[in-house]
Amino acid sequence: MSRRSAWINRRDRRGIWFVVPFLVGFVLFMVVPLGYAIYTSLYTSKLIGGTVFSGASNYTQTLQSSDFWNGVIRVVIYAAIQIPVMLAIAFFFACVFDLGVAKFGRTFRTIFFIPFAVPAVVGAVMWSFLLEPQFGPVVHLANAFGFSNTNFFSSSLLLPSIIVIVIWEWTGYNMVILYTALKSVPRDVVEAAILDDTPLWKIILRIKLPMVRPAIVMLVFLNLIGALQLFTEPQILEYFQQGAVSVNYTPAYFIYQTAIAADETNLAAAMAVILAVVIVLISAVSLVFRFGRSRRRRGEFA
Amino acid sequence: MSVSVLPPASAPDTVEPVRESRRERRRRERLEEQDSNIPVELYGLRRGTVPFLTSLAFLFAIFTLVPIAWIIINSTKNQANIFETFGFWFARPFSLFHNFSLLFQNVDGYGTYIQWFGNTALYAVLGGGGAAALAAFAGYGFARFSFRGSRVLFYMIIAALLVPITALTVPLYLTYAKAHLINSLWGMVLPSMISPVGIYLMRVYVDISVPRDLIDAARIDGAGELRIFFRVALPLMVPGVITVLLLSIVAVWNNYFLPLLIFNINSRYPLTVGLGLWSLRAQNSGNAQLFPMLVTGGLVTILPLIALFLLLQRYWRGGILLGSIAN
Repeated sequence: MSRRSAWINRRDRRGIWFVVPFLVGFVLFMVVPLGYAIYTSLYTSKLIGGTVFSGASNYTQTLQSSDFWNGVIRVVIYAAIQIPVMLAIAFFFACVFDLGVAKFGRTFRTIFFIPFAVPAVVGAVMWSFLLEPQFGPVVHLANAFGFSNTNFFSSSLLLPSIIVIVIWEWTGYNMVILYTALKSVPRDVVEAAILDDTPLWKIILRIKLPMVRPAIVMLVFLNLIGALQLFTEPQILEYFQQGAVSVNYTPAYFIYQTAIAADETNLAAAMAVILAVVIVLISAVSLVFRFGRSRRRRGEFA
Repeated sequence: MSVSVLPPASAPDTVEPVRESRRERRRRERLEEQDSNIPVELYGLRRGTVPFLTSLAFLFAIFTLVPIAWIIINSTKNQANIFETFGFWFARPFSLFHNFSLLFQNVDGYGTYIQWFGNTALYAVLGGGGAAALAAFAGYGFARFSFRGSRVLFYMIIAALLVPITALTVPLYLTYAKAHLINSLWGMVLPSMISPVGIYLMRVYVDISVPRDLIDAARIDGAGELRIFFRVALPLMVPGVITVLLLSIVAVWNNYFLPLLIFNINSRYPLTVGLGLWSLRAQNSGNAQLFPMLVTGGLVTILPLIALFLLLQRYWRGGILLGSIAN
């Protein structure tokens, strides 16, 4: 027994060499930058006197900055609308294609997935042309339906426009993942429900939905991390209509403006660290929620 | 959760001894899919439900295709017609070839599209290829060896997904500025190789597709670990590696934030940064050629990836994507 486990131990130790190449890169390009961000965030560079240690002053400045928190609140609102709407559409079509209750499911699945292959920059450029206030075809359409002077880049319609763009970009990807998850729901469960004359909507909501809930929770989680870092779409829209997007529109955009345009890199580093903490906190809360739920569910079945 | 990550349908890809032609495989896949579906009549649906749901899917397909159709149509127009004619129909003169030729020129010193295309392809191949290779090694290491600290390391890597790109990229940019790595190829490629999602996917895939017994048998035969990896494990991991490769290439191809920060001369730009810059210049500079260039450039940017996805459908349909979220 002991000889065998010694053999296994020696063998297992060798396994680390498979992981080392990645680990080196991981440390260099993820751990070190993060550490460096925390380090620089503790300094302030002044016009006179160079870079001096300033402790938590960049953090207090960020925490007290209503500009920063306005951006955070905006992306939270954005996430609270965009993610449920997108997942509802994705789940609906995933179910429809999984049950085979629409024709040409295979073709539709391929079409829906296409935007995943389109870079966010190009997606935002295309939609900017379509929504452009003076010449955009969608604006002409809105006018034809009686909504005259619709401006999709105005402060009230900017966020909805971004939501539409992101839904366009990501629904297909989420749909494909949910479709695959639904495929693993055992067929006999559904067959039994059919024999009991269960209506279709009940099969979807009472059988399919609970069984793919882990997948849905994970998608909420991944989309949330992405949504809180919203950057590309607002930046391209700003290129198309200068002044439409404020410098603090989203936290990521504000950090970029602070680091590059304003050249206040120390402050930007502190903002980036705070954004990271906010994202970790929100994710942790959603994870606790997830585990709490699944424990309760396990209890039900026990 | 112990939801199975891969549907068994993708297993035959790796085990099946008889090679089937592409057409035969497509046929088999379609039949299997039909077979696994419950006949629609059994749901006891009201008449008209299927046409209704099909038309809903059709509407969403239109929503999906509208921007693509727009960019295809407008790549054939000159600047005036892009703005003045109906967006969803063609107009004279037919300017596609002229627009396309502009992609080979450095108009007003704002950069040459074809150069950006080459840069993007280079970054994507090196970065995506490197990411897939590192993920294959590390995924195998994590799945088939339990060395000290392997679990902690693995969870640390997964936790890195939570760190926002901005929190990594801004300090990377600051370090590059100090180390004179601004505008360097490796400054772009090396960080692109680090893909925590890739590690996760490969680990899950190895767990399913490479039997422990097979590795132990090879060990008893006296094969070295590296030899076992390349001769025994890797052939079984190919579908997983291709999926990770596909996802990594797309990630680099679409990456915007990192290159936006670390490149400041336009001969180094990838497509995303170059096109973003053009959309700003087109508004400001008053050069009538920039809008058609932006539209045609956008079209040429998305075509290779759409083609790649259509060709490699079974790799994103096979369910390996699900590995990124199940468990």
